[in-house]
Amino acid sequence: MSSRIELSVIIPVIERYDNIEEIYHDYKQNIKSTNMAFEIIYIVDSHFDEVLENLKKLNKKGEKIKIIKLAKTFSETTALNIGFDNSSGDIILTLPAYQQVQANEIPRLIKALDSHDMVVGRRWPRKDSGFNRLRSKIFNLLLKRVSDLQLHDAGCNVRAFKRDIINEVNVYGDLYRFFPIIADRYGFKVVELNVAQSDRDISRRTYPTSAYLRTLLDILTILFLIKFTKKPLRFFGLLGIGLFFIGSIATLYIVGERIFLGVGLANRPALLLSSLLIVFSIQVMAIGLIGEIIIFTHAKELKEYTVYEIIN
Amino acid sequence: MDLSIIVPLYNEEDSVIPLYEALVHTLNPLNLNYEILFIDDGSRDKTYSLAKDLAKKDRRLRVIKFRRNYGQTPAMVAGIEHAKGTILITMDGDLQNDPEDIPKFIEKIREGYDIVVGWRYKRQDKLLTRKIPSKIANWLIGKITGVPIKDNGCSLKAYRENIIKKIPLYSEMHRFIPAMTSLAGTNIAEIKVNHYARQYGISKYGLSRIYKVLIDLITIKTIISFFPRPLVPFALIAAVAALVSFFSFISGIFYILQSGQESIVFWGLTILYGSLAIVLLFWGVLAELVYRTGNLKIENFASLKIDNEISRNNEVEKR
Repeated sequence: MSSRIELSVIIPVIERYDNIEEIYHDYKQNIKSTNMAFEIIYIVDSHFDEVLENLKKLNKKGEKIKIIKLAKTFSETTALNIGFDNSSGDIILTLPAYQQVQANEIPRLIKALDSHDMVVGRRWPRKDSGFNRLRSKIFNLLLKRVSDLQLHDAGCNVRAFKRDIINEVNVYGDLYRFFPIIADRYGFKVVELNVAQSDRDISRRTYPTSAYLRTLLDILTILFLIKFTKKPLRFFGLLGIGLFFIGSIATLYIVGERIFLGVGLANRPALLLSSLLIVFSIQVMAIGLIGEIIIFTHAKELKEYTVYEIIN
Repeated sequence: MDLSIIVPLYNEEDSVIPLYEALVHTLNPLNLNYEILFIDDGSRDKTYSLAKDLAKKDRRLRVIKFRRNYGQTPAMVAGIEHAKGTILITMDGDLQNDPEDIPKFIEKIREGYDIVVGWRYKRQDKLLTRKIPSKIANWLIGKITGVPIKDNGCSLKAYRENIIKKIPLYSEMHRFIPAMTSLAGTNIAEIKVNHYARQYGISKYGLSRIYKVLIDLITIKTIISFFPRPLVPFALIAAVAALVSFFSFISGIFYILQSGQESIVFWGLTILYGSLAIVLLFWGVLAELVYRTGNLKIENFASLKIDNEISRNNEVEKR
């Protein structure tokens, strides 16, 4: 075995985790069977001291684990980015710290990277409750409207990809869920692979209402990122012009009635409404313009294309 | 390096080889140190492998392949960024432009023009879907930007390298390059070029562009006219809103004097337009802020002008 790392496995411990030791051995066994030189990196949130203890125990037993402890609670994406920066393999595999898929699927995922740049796990067939399945169905339906890539399981964190992708595609905030979609937009070959769901991936997670709201906002974010980042005015302008049109017609009609028919303005609340439309439309267009100015003044920094190869 | 020819290609497998041969045939007699840049914009046919084979035989041909299809402007931007020549010439990859016209463009640049645009005075396109919309668009672009160019859509253009590399290009801005450079006070020349009907492949445009062009036009216009002081136009609109607010306030006072009752509508309008005026001023200040912190500085454009003078003088001295 060469000393050069080929495969970096990154396991963030941010929200959920199951028995650390058991999962670790489970993963390690299957990663070993790929016959690659690998490293395993755990990124542990600041308040999981118990996890840290367990990992240190493993370390003492002679397991080579890189442990990165975060100074405070970060989002999953940030934790992963820290992991990317501290890993050296050409292939990166991210795994959840809890039972989500059956670990013996890992070699298949890595194998699929021969012909693709990114492989995304999809838990199939699903063993979740019916309600959970419906929820993700709706979510994926919305997602389908936004992207060309058919991503069925954005919540599955089992993903393997080549390092080139993170050199060109920058994910931040809560965007790791949509990493495959963004990578696909950048022209990388992304494929979804059905993996067997772990028997213990039961939905212990209860979803508060805020989670739905966040999901919706996530979809809006991705919509904007994909469609209007470069041209904010195309979206805001259309909305603004439409509203302005409606507002102006209504206002002119009411003012016309006052001039030609002598209907007093003082008791016409409709005038307030139509004026509100005008005011709102001006605001919307102003926002679009400011966005446009921001893009324009930073156009030199925004790279709009990804180069695959340059000859000569 | 004296000259770079930039050609975006998208599914043009039939045109690659004839185009390359025509270019070499035209450029070799000029005794210039030149390069040809083919930018493969994510073609799904043989375009890239053909270009690759050509590039293996000819070091002057460089090929840039995108990971996927990004559109014409990004392809041109990539070409402009990677070009090494002092004169850059962009053209279409579908053989609708004639490489034979290139020497005329170089001549014009040497005369001291900064940008030379082609004018397809005998367009070989469908009248209804292509010519008429483009006539209207060109007229509009000329009227709005104040740079009257008869044919903005012609890809065959020549630029002095130090200018084009400073122009912010994104999305579909390549149509407005002449308008953008008017910020910097460039000299633009127009020359008639030949135009051929498509021999291979299909046209990549539809009528849906009109909305996009219009919106882009509004954007360019506002950005150009705002450029030094974006607060001014915002303040003007704010002044109008303040006037309406004031007028409504007066009406409210009159209404009280007249009928002895309060009018909710008049007070509402006063507040509504008054707040609009204030918020617009805030937007204006924000716009100023963005300009100040962005990397597109007024000094940049001012220095552009000086650069031009210097490079023009150099050209004249050379001759």
